[in-house]
Amino acid sequence: MSDQLVFWGLAGFITLSSVAVVTVRNPVTAAVALVINLFLLAGVYAFQGADFVAAIQIIVYTGAIVVLFLFVIMILNLDPEHLRSPRPRIWEHLVLGVVIAGFAYIGYRFLDSLDVGKVASNRLPDNTYDVAMILFSNYLWPFEIVSILILLAIVGSVAIAKKPK
Amino acid sequence: MGLTSSELPFIVDLIATLSKIVVVFLIGLNVPPIMLWVERRVPALMQRRRGPNRVGFFKWRLWGLFQAVADAIKLIFKEEAVPAMANKWFFHLGPVFSVFPAFLVLSAMPFGEYIEVMGYQISLVAVQVNVGFLFILAMAGMAIYGVALSGWASTSKYTLLGALRASAQMISYEIPLGLSLIPIALVYNSLDLTEIVKGQSHFWQWGIFLSPLSFIIFLVCMFAETNRTPFDLAEAESELVVGFHTEYGSTKFAAFFLGEYVSMFALSLLCSILFFGGWHLPLLSRENLINLTGSVNLAALVGVGVLFLKAAFFMFLYVWVRWTVPRFRYDQLMKLGWKFLLPLGLANIAVTAGILALNF
Amino acid sequence: MNPYLPIIIILGLGVALGLILSGFAHFLGPRHPTPAKEEIFECGVPTVASRERMSVKFYLTAILFILFDIETVFLFLWAKAFRSLAWFGIVEVAVFVLILVAGYLYVLKTGALEWD
Repeated sequence: MSDQLVFWGLAGFITLSSVAVVTVRNPVTAAVALVINLFLLAGVYAFQGADFVAAIQIIVYTGAIVVLFLFVIMILNLDPEHLRSPRPRIWEHLVLGVVIAGFAYIGYRFLDSLDVGKVASNRLPDNTYDVAMILFSNYLWPFEIVSILILLAIVGSVAIAKKPK
Repeated sequence: MGLTSSELPFIVDLIATLSKIVVVFLIGLNVPPIMLWVERRVPALMQRRRGPNRVGFFKWRLWGLFQAVADAIKLIFKEEAVPAMANKWFFHLGPVFSVFPAFLVLSAMPFGEYIEVMGYQISLVAVQVNVGFLFILAMAGMAIYGVALSGWASTSKYTLLGALRASAQMISYEIPLGLSLIPIALVYNSLDLTEIVKGQSHFWQWGIFLSPLSFIIFLVCMFAETNRTPFDLAEAESELVVGFHTEYGSTKFAAFFLGEYVSMFALSLLCSILFFGGWHLPLLSRENLINLTGSVNLAALVGVGVLFLKAAFFMFLYVWVRWTVPRFRYDQLMKLGWKFLLPLGLANIAVTAGILALNF
Repeated sequence: MNPYLPIIIILGLGVALGLILSGFAHFLGPRHPTPAKEEIFECGVPTVASRERMSVKFYLTAILFILFDIETVFLFLWAKAFRSLAWFGIVEVAVFVLILVAGYLYVLKTGALEWD
């Protein structure tokens, strides 16, 4: 019973904060809403027993990627008036509502059941070790490809940000 | 984050957890006043002057300890000047992001193995995480938002620049911090802090002997993450006034202060736990101590005292370094983080893995 | 008992503490706003409300931070399974790290981390 409560409670707040990210007018507020969203999502992962994934969700996503977003917002440093997008019209609200309802419906159709307790109760004691063993044996090739992807990202970002000589 | 559910009955567990949380908060709230006093008396003594020693009750001066009380009262009742153009929400919320990560890190620190109350074994850590290191890194990441949002909310060019520089500094030193923790995880084969202290029961197994380079890197990163001298350019008085918290008065300033000192204390505890044996005394093993005192609880108490003594040394080190070493220039600071500590950290991991691999 | 309860409680208490401290300042202090007090502090120089662009180096630092943070996270994962993976794991991770070191050397060579 408490499993259901925790999950659906978290899910509700996650949805609220995601809607806030897209609808709020001030970009810094949107970034903070994103932080809350990702934090709660890490909570969902932790609740399902994926503690390692929850930890790196916070370290990488919340602690690095949103910091990047915030840096960009702060660097660009626009006038307060320019920061705000115009008030959304009624039809924009309606579209958002329809999209959310659509996703909820798709989710409902594809779920086996609404009982989340089943997944949470299969928690294994040492998630990090299991993830490590699987990653370095079965998923070795994707792991090495990740390093190439990171290399590409490094080269790309330097290319974008460097002043041309 | 990999919390092991305990085998205690529910009500015992609940009471134990709640009391541990209360203890963590009490410790956290008491550190800044003590540090306030240390920060003023110790440099005074180093500089051959007296420091504040006037505030007292009925001629009972207590070497200036009451100064902290006076400061606190003054801070609470001061007027708060909010800049006109400031973003109201983030201005008021900024300090919050500095406070809660510090307390979360403090709550993940183990103070001992366990105590026995009424036949139940209660572990001496408020938040028991299997992935202890990752939890600490995660909270270090959250502390960045306090700096960034507060500087942004004040809408002053200089606080914004100070905030950006302080944030960039914090993220630049988070990587060597993580890299320096990996050899410790390799050597003690665990990410859990309690396990790591258990692996240091003998003097020669202390982290500083098994991984000295990690200690040095960690020490430097410890200073950089808390924005303390010699890395405090972002809040140096001669630079951008006080940097990102220029516009913050009275207790909001106290909130930043609180966050900074609590995270300093938590990192000092972490340093003692990882490198100096935590709650173990150098020559007296825990079993001997239990036999000597005849009680597990007394041994645990001694352990807590030892741990706090070691952490107190690092807090003293913070103050000592602050008044001894000149400040780094910002570009020197970033160069140190990216060009020196990062490769050093990677090399450290390679060497440690190589040495350990010889035992396969 | 839900094992995540302590984290949630401490998080809540920490946020409450921060809010209370902020609230003290807001509600307990006297409030006499004058134009001088409400101005931003710039050492006596009248505020120029210009909005300059900050350096792009912050952006580059943040991106490099993300990438090396990901590397650090994978290294933690490896550290956990180090003894079980033995030499095979070491070789794997060595390849991973070497590719990233190549990227790091590229960054050094193009001088992207120079700070004036």
